[in-house]
Amino acid sequence: MSMDNEAQVSNIELAADYKGSTGGAVIRHTIIFFVLMFIWEMANRTGFSNPLLLPRPTEVVASIWKIYVTQGNVWYHLWVTFKEAMLGCFIGCVVGIGLAVAAVLSDTFRQFLKPYIIIVEATPRIAVGPIFVTWFGFGMSSKVALAALVCFFAPFVNTITGLLGVEEESYELFRSLGATRRQVFWRLMIPTALPTMNAGLKLAVGSAFGGALVAEFISAQAGMGILMARYTMSLNMPSAFAGLLSITLYGFLLFRTMEVIDKQVLYWLSDDLMTKKSAKRKIKFHKEISV
Amino acid sequence: MADDIVIQGDGLRKQFTETVIAVEDAKFTIPRGSFISLVGPSGCGKSTLLRLISGLIEKTDGDLLVRNSEVVGPRSDIGMMFQKAVLLDWRTAIENVLLPDEIRGTVSPEAKKKAWDHLHLVGLQDFEFSFPRQLSGGMQQRVALARLLQTGADIMLLDEPFGALDEFTRERLNVELLKIVDDPNITTVFVTHNISEAIFLGDQVFVMTPRPGRIAAQIEIDLPKPRTIDLETTPEFQAYVQQVRDVLASHLEDQPL
Repeated sequence: MSMDNEAQVSNIELAADYKGSTGGAVIRHTIIFFVLMFIWEMANRTGFSNPLLLPRPTEVVASIWKIYVTQGNVWYHLWVTFKEAMLGCFIGCVVGIGLAVAAVLSDTFRQFLKPYIIIVEATPRIAVGPIFVTWFGFGMSSKVALAALVCFFAPFVNTITGLLGVEEESYELFRSLGATRRQVFWRLMIPTALPTMNAGLKLAVGSAFGGALVAEFISAQAGMGILMARYTMSLNMPSAFAGLLSITLYGFLLFRTMEVIDKQVLYWLSDDLMTKKSAKRKIKFHKEISV
Repeated sequence: MADDIVIQGDGLRKQFTETVIAVEDAKFTIPRGSFISLVGPSGCGKSTLLRLISGLIEKTDGDLLVRNSEVVGPRSDIGMMFQKAVLLDWRTAIENVLLPDEIRGTVSPEAKKKAWDHLHLVGLQDFEFSFPRQLSGGMQQRVALARLLQTGADIMLLDEPFGALDEFTRERLNVELLKIVDDPNITTVFVTHNISEAIFLGDQVFVMTPRPGRIAAQIEIDLPKPRTIDLETTPEFQAYVQQVRDVLASHLEDQPL
């Protein structure tokens, strides 16, 4: 694999294709869900599976109620992990996009960067976790650092792919119009690359939680990672499952939020948004100019 | 150089690598207000010649004058159009037409009005605020033509502008293009690999042959104007087609395909 490889596309996007399903499909999925839950519950109650290791769905629901309402301790840990993940993600994306832009604008820099990027890509990012905890301490910084490292790569590769995807004829058009380098960059290269760049950002946001959690597993005072580690160590499996479900839910919500933002930013890829924009710009034009 | 000569080349040569000579010893004059068709098989250097004139690439050797001054880079009196429309997808048609003004910092109510008029001139009334992805290929090229007109350039360099369109759309656009550039001040150089198209459009046809790219013949096309599509069936037209074919055949017979 090289840094010039294809843009990465998220798997969750494939899963999101189901959103367009009809009411019938919703009912079908609900029925299947409850049947599965019932089988699971029964397997536990009949002793078919070990209730100590795999808690019953009803116990998990009770634990969700406990950690969110009666104890209410999960909010604090969620907030800590969320902060670490988002801050790390932000840093990773800024560094990734920044390096990518520099690499595209300067061939020399790109050649210089290439071997290091290959090394970074070949290293499983979470393997750096223990080292980061040693370097940055048991507090928030080591989690932010690992989240940043995990998030760095997708925006980096996608920004490079996007920027290199500008067609030669587009450059020729801009040059024939006497455009400056700055104009070419902001008016041609960045908007052209934006769809690919956004796909990279979505992937980064999706992996940010993972980075922060792994660093917390290694060592932390607070956060969902350490909370779940405590639950499993005391064999409080219902609460561990409740925590896991929470992380899944917030990961999903975050991804959907990114998708909504993505669609608004990339309005020219959506038929209904283009129609709306056309109408708005028409009104604006006619206010200004009478023709 | 006479006043009515706009573009002049002499001994013009462009070499990319040691073995690739794209244009060799080109000698030509292009009078003001004329329509020149540059025809030849792919790889004959016709696009390279166009880009030399536009100032997008530098010549290796020889003379190339536009309005008596050496071409050193892109200039505002030369506008280009490409096989792809090269529209910016995130801008409406009229915003695309305004791009030249935006780049030069000359956006004004007058410029916007002009953009509106240019879109209407190329037949895009009611599509001023459509986005490129909402337009057909032919309409996209119309936007590109309006953008070219918006530059105010009176030398228009067109690189197979309708080459990617279907036959019917291409014929229609060719007829409309001829009307639009039928102005004694507008000089047009049109690159194509289609012999009929070259003759139909051109006041003169430059026939180019590859390896190295040379202008093998410059043929005056003495056919009545305004030109209409049924012209292509006349014996006079067919005679020109034969003449171009003969030039190409005599240069290509000893070359591998």
